Amino acid sequence: MSEIHIEIDNVNAYYSGNHALKNISVKIPKKQITAIIGPSGCGKSTLLKCMNRLIDLTDDVKLSGKILIDNEDILDRKTDIVNIRKKMGLLAQKPTPLPMSIYENIAYGPKIHGLKKKSEIDSIVEKYLKLVGLWDEVKDRLNSPASQLSLGQQQRLCLARGLAVEPEIILCDEPTSALDPVSSQHIEQQLLKLKNDYTIVIVTHNIHQAMRLADYVIHLYLGEMVEHGQANEVFENPKDERTRAYINGTFLADVKIDKVIDTKGNQCPYNFVYAKQAMHLMEKGQILKIIVDDLTAVNEVPRGMEADGHEVLSVKQKNKTDWEIVIKKQG
Amino acid sequence: MELRRVEESIFKALMILSLIIVVGSLLGVIGIILWNGLPALNIDMFTQTGGLYGKGGGILNAIIGSVYLAVGGTVLAFFLSTGIAFYLQKEYSGGTRLSSMTRLCLDILWGTPSIVYGAFGFTILIYFQMRASLLAGIIILALLELPIMTRAMEEVIKTVPQELKEVSYSLGATRLETTLNVVSKQALPGLMTGVLIAFGRGIGDAASIMFTAGYTDRIPTSVFDASASLPLAIFFLLNSPQEEVRQKAYASAVMLLLVILAISIATRLLSRKYTKYIIK
Repeated sequence: MSEIHIEIDNVNAYYSGNHALKNISVKIPKKQITAIIGPSGCGKSTLLKCMNRLIDLTDDVKLSGKILIDNEDILDRKTDIVNIRKKMGLLAQKPTPLPMSIYENIAYGPKIHGLKKKSEIDSIVEKYLKLVGLWDEVKDRLNSPASQLSLGQQQRLCLARGLAVEPEIILCDEPTSALDPVSSQHIEQQLLKLKNDYTIVIVTHNIHQAMRLADYVIHLYLGEMVEHGQANEVFENPKDERTRAYINGTFLADVKIDKVIDTKGNQCPYNFVYAKQAMHLMEKGQILKIIVDDLTAVNEVPRGMEADGHEVLSVKQKNKTDWEIVIKKQG
Repeated sequence: MELRRVEESIFKALMILSLIIVVGSLLGVIGIILWNGLPALNIDMFTQTGGLYGKGGGILNAIIGSVYLAVGGTVLAFFLSTGIAFYLQKEYSGGTRLSSMTRLCLDILWGTPSIVYGAFGFTILIYFQMRASLLAGIIILALLELPIMTRAMEEVIKTVPQELKEVSYSLGATRLETTLNVVSKQALPGLMTGVLIAFGRGIGDAASIMFTAGYTDRIPTSVFDASASLPLAIFFLLNSPQEEVRQKAYASAVMLLLVILAISIATRLLSRKYTKYIIK
């Protein structure tokens, strides 16, 4: 295993008496993507918020244990919280631009950390907007309100804003859950690019996203860490029964498939269109199995279906060319 | 089923009735003021002083005095109010006894009749053997406006989304930096409304400044001079037995409305530049 960046040592968290994190001890590797997965309410976001101590803003929280970054215990009340947070960029669930112009959103961090020279700030703004691939889209309207950007652009702006304070770690809390498939893909590509220079911790309830991104995986279940390890090991051969169930979709073994469509030989987006048409004729709660042999579709069909609000139960490779995608109709 | 429909229409009728009462009262007030005031509304009213008795003269002293008093009081109250309102945020005094005590005190002050403020100011002036002055009036008006402004601002600041603050903190900002750069920008239109409500209360109040700012036909040239004001001008003019002097009272009321309208529009225009950045 590579170098350790964040060491979480026996951390416990209580929300108004509720035991939200139970004896979490794990080491997060440097310059890799670590995904924290698990069902809703399992403590994923709480763990993430402990790392930059945003959890302090929540009422009635008690913490114990240690989180060491560069040999500094950040849960120690004496540690300077402003410096800790400067080391970590945060990408929130919902794109949250500040009530300022596009330019000011990026400049905000460097400015509060004491940068005054206009030319330096200008170049920082340009550098990080370019890094997230937003520069060409906004360079002519840097002074217009950030809230005028599309959601996907806003999220990239937020990423650039976090990077502009030159952090070592990027914390992402379900960063694509509010975005459309194309914007999600954009963010994922950025994260893959950024892991060369940054340690990334991403909370996600999307198991496929974790599979696409993660080098290291932490599986939380009801506040307990049930499994952690290298991503390929955890995904291919989970040791814990609960992880296996979560990865495969708990009820998949005895799930009743209501309809099967075979879209082999079709390219994306046609297979997606066929899947959508089939889905349209089905009742809520019914289950559709789609067979595809186009690799783009393996990524895009589940993603598109999730964007439509359906639940993707599993994506499995059947043989060398064929994949099965099982989707449950919602809403 | 039928009964429920009847209930629905009765309720709707009641709502429309109350709307008519509200709009009707406003139109009635404006109509009566204009009807009675227009005959007396001439250029002398805005340019002359000493129009309190008999024919002729104007109320320029009262217009300027009122603007001095209300603007001064509002500015003073603004500095105190923003401080208190920002401090009542969760990060600073959240859930402490201090914050609930502060709110209680503000609510009691809000409910205190303005004549009590006036009497309080008067007592202090006598104690220090001072005379009624612009400064005393400004201070008393600031006290009068303080609870209104603070409570209005606090309610607005509360609505600033927690995520916005978290973003600022996550970038390494302190509480003060977050408050000044993010919270105040997001809450700006609401803060402006708070200021305007308080200003309206301040410029329209007669009882609190009657004994503290006094009344004079001269335009004040220093903060230690006594100062006239529009509400008091209206009060004195209305007491006159002469028809044409009473008309001047209504003309003054028109002036008071115009000043409030002008200040409202000016504030809106000033804050428009910033409101476009607000996150909805």
